[in-house]
Amino acid sequence: MQWLVRILILIAAVAGIAWFHQVRTHRPTRVEEANRKGILLLGNGTEPATLDPQLASGQPEHMIFHSIFEGLIAPAAGNPDGDAPGAAESWTHDGTFTTWTFKLQPQGRWSDGSPVTTADFLFAYQRILSPKLGADYATMLYPLLNAEAYHSGKLKDFTQVGVKALDDHTLQVTLTGPAPYLPSMLKHYSWFPVPKHVIEKHGKIDDRGNTRWTRPGNMVCNGTFRLKSWLVNQNVEVERNPHYWDAASVKLNGIVFLPIVSDTTEERAFLDGQLHATLTMPLAKIPVYREKKSPFFHSDPLLSVYFYRCNVTRKPFDDVNVRRALALAIDRESITRNILRAGQKPATGLTPPGTLADYHTPDVMRFDPAEAKRLLAAAGYPDGEGFPVFDILINTSEAHRTLAEAVQAMWKKHLNIPVRVLNQDWGVNLDSQRKLDYDVCRAAWVGDYLDPSTFLAMWQTGDGNNNTGWSSPRYDQLISQSFREGDAAKRLQILKEAETLMLNEAPVLPVYWYTHSYLMRPEVKGLLPSLLEHRCYKAVELKP
Amino acid sequence: MRSRINACALGLIVMLVILCGVGPELSPYEQSQQNLELKATNPSLSHWLGTDPLGRDMLTRILHGGRVSLEVGLLATAVAAVIGVFYGMISGLAGGRADAAMMRVVDILYAFPFINFVILLMVIVGREFWLIFVAIGAVEWLTMARVVRGQVLALKNLEFVTAARASGAGFWHIVWKHLLPNVTGPVIIYASLTVPGVMLLEAALSFLGLGIQPPDASWGVLIREGASSMETYPWLLLYPGLFFSATLLALNLLGDGLRDAFDPKSMSQHQA
Repeated sequence: MQWLVRILILIAAVAGIAWFHQVRTHRPTRVEEANRKGILLLGNGTEPATLDPQLASGQPEHMIFHSIFEGLIAPAAGNPDGDAPGAAESWTHDGTFTTWTFKLQPQGRWSDGSPVTTADFLFAYQRILSPKLGADYATMLYPLLNAEAYHSGKLKDFTQVGVKALDDHTLQVTLTGPAPYLPSMLKHYSWFPVPKHVIEKHGKIDDRGNTRWTRPGNMVCNGTFRLKSWLVNQNVEVERNPHYWDAASVKLNGIVFLPIVSDTTEERAFLDGQLHATLTMPLAKIPVYREKKSPFFHSDPLLSVYFYRCNVTRKPFDDVNVRRALALAIDRESITRNILRAGQKPATGLTPPGTLADYHTPDVMRFDPAEAKRLLAAAGYPDGEGFPVFDILINTSEAHRTLAEAVQAMWKKHLNIPVRVLNQDWGVNLDSQRKLDYDVCRAAWVGDYLDPSTFLAMWQTGDGNNNTGWSSPRYDQLISQSFREGDAAKRLQILKEAETLMLNEAPVLPVYWYTHSYLMRPEVKGLLPSLLEHRCYKAVELKP
Repeated sequence: MRSRINACALGLIVMLVILCGVGPELSPYEQSQQNLELKATNPSLSHWLGTDPLGRDMLTRILHGGRVSLEVGLLATAVAAVIGVFYGMISGLAGGRADAAMMRVVDILYAFPFINFVILLMVIVGREFWLIFVAIGAVEWLTMARVVRGQVLALKNLEFVTAARASGAGFWHIVWKHLLPNVTGPVIIYASLTVPGVMLLEAALSFLGLGIQPPDASWGVLIREGASSMETYPWLLLYPGLFFSATLLALNLLGDGLRDAFDPKSMSQHQA
C-alpha cells in the first residue's frame, strides 16, 4: 500500500508545481492591467531630484513636467517639436521677433480650479530669476529684456524686466533681441508657469528650501495631468486633470513614471510586461534588436551630445594644454563604431548636426594621439610623468561605465596617465557637479529648443549649467552679442565663433552625438519621436 | 571517502591559487588591455574564454580577478580572526560584567546593517582598496569572537590554567602560552569557513558598485558585468561564475574536512 501513497504524493507534488507555473505565467501582466485602466507605464531613468520645475535640471524631471505642467506653447500632437496652443490660445509678434504678445486660454485653470492668469507667469519669471533661488535654468530666460540684470542682482525692480501683464489674460514679452526660436524655447519647463497662490501659501518666493508645495496633496499644476502620488524610488504617478482646458481630448487616465536606473533592469522589466516604454536600453543589446527587426525597438534622432566635463578649478585641469591633450586622446570614431553601435556619431564639436539647417558646427575635436602627447609634455607632464591620479565621475549605468573604461584605457595608452572610474548615484552626482567636486565628469545635454544657443549659452560665466568653473570674457561677450543680433546669418556666425573658441579651450570634451534607442510596445500610439524629447501626452493612446 | 574529497578540494584550491598567481603573468594579454575592434567574441584559440565588449581577454581577467577575490578573502579573514580571537579571549577570561558588556557590544554590532556600514565608511574614508578588507573584517569578527569566548570559558577553569595561575603566571602569559594554542583548532576551522563568506560579501559589494574599481576586476565585478549581458554574451557570466562557485565549494569542503580532523566528535556525528 505504501507505494500507492508515494505515487499519490508524487502526483500531488507535480500537479502543484504545474498549477503554480500556470498561475504564474497566465496572470495578467502589469501592462495588460494598465491597458485596461488606460494607464501608461514609463521607465524614467533616475528618481527625480525635485518636482519644482524651476529648480530641476534633469531629463527624468523633464519627462514628468511635460505631463503635469504646460507652458504658453505646447508640443503639437502630430509633431512634438512643433508648436501648438498651450496655456496661451494664440500669440503674435511685432514682425522682428522681439516683442511677443500671448493671449492666455480663457478656460485655463490650475488643478485646484483657480484660473491661470498672467500674474502666475509674472510670478514664475520673477521667481526663477531671483538670485536667491539659485535656479540652474535661470539663464534660459536671459533673452528676456533685463532678465540678466535682475538675476545678477544689479536690477532690483522686476517691473523693468521684459514681461508685462496687459490684462489678466494678455501677456507681453519683450526680448533683448530677435529670437525666432522663442516658441520652441517656451516649451521648456523653465518657462512654465507656477501657481503663485500655492507657493506663497507654503513659503517665500525665493526660498530654495520651500519644497512643500511640490508634495502630493499640496501640488497644484496646470498640465494635462496632475500629481497623484510620489513614492520616492518607487514611482511618480499622475492622473487626469479635470480642470485642464483641453481635458476632453486627453485619452489616458494616468501615467506612472518608474525610476529604473539600470538599463538592464529596465529592459527586463519591459520584457516582463512591466513597462509600456523604456527610457533607454543596454548598449550591448542594440545590435541584437536591430538584427532581429524587433517590433519593440525604436531608434530616433535626438538633439543631444554626450561629453566629459573638466573641472578647470582643479589642477592640472586648469591648464588648457592638459584639457586639449585629453580631448585629442579620445578615439571617438572607435567608440561609436565598436562600443555604441547604434548610429551615434563621433562629436567633432558640441552642437549636434540638425539643430538648425544653416548652422555648421566647427570641426575641432579629433583623434590625434601624437599631438595630445606633445601638448601634455608642454603642460609639464612628458609621457604622463607626475600626472596626478584622477577620477572620471559617472552616474550609475552600465553604459556610462563601459564608455568610461574605454576612455580610461585610451588615456592610459596614449598619454600614460592614471585614471580611475568613480560611480555615484544621480542625485549625488548632480550635486558633485554643481559643487565642482570632481575631476572629470560624464554629462550629456539634450537641446532645450531648436537653436545652437541651447548648447552654447550654458558655458557663460556662472551659468547654472556650466558646472566646469570655466569662464571666458570674450565668450560671454559673443553669446550676449548673439542674443542682440538681428541678422540671422550674422547671429549664427557669432555663435560659431563662440563655439570654436570654447572647443579650443576644451572645458568639456565632447564624445558623441546621441541617437535615442529605446523599447516601446506597439499598443502605445501617439508617443512620437522628438529631437528635443518633448512629449505630447494628451495625444498618447493605448490600443491593444 | 571524505579524506579523498578533502584532498581534491585542497588540490583545487592550490591549483587556483597557482593559476591566479602565475596565470596573468604568462598570458599574452594585460587584464585591462582593450581591443575595441574585437568587441565581445566567443571563446577561440587566441582567447580561450572569449573577450568582453571592450575586447579584453576574459581568461586573463578572470585569473586577475581571482587574485583580487582570493586576496580579499584571505586578508579580510585574517583581520577578522585577529580581532575576533583577542576580543573573545579577553571577554571570556575577564568574565563577569566586563564579559557581559563586551558581548552586548557584539550583539549591537550584529544588528547593524552591513551595507550601510560600508557605505558610511566609504563616505568618511573615501574609496581605498584596503577599506574592503577592513570593512569586511570588521564585520566578520563577531562570530569569531563568540566562538573563541566559548572556548575560553571552558578552558579557563581547567586544571592547567589554574596551575599556571597558582604558580604566579600573569594575564598575558596565560593568554599566550596556555589559551591561544588551545583555541587554534576552532579558529582555523572557522576561518576556513569564513573565507568563502568573505568572498561572497566582496562580490555583493562589487555587485553594488562599492568594491573594486575599474579597470581592476574581482570575480564579483566580472559576474555583475556578465549578468548585465547574459542573453547576448552568456560566456561573460558563465566562466567567472564557474571559477567562483568552484572555489567556494572547495573552500567549504576544506573547512568541513578541517573540522573533522580537529574535532573527532563532529566526525562521528557525520557518520551517524
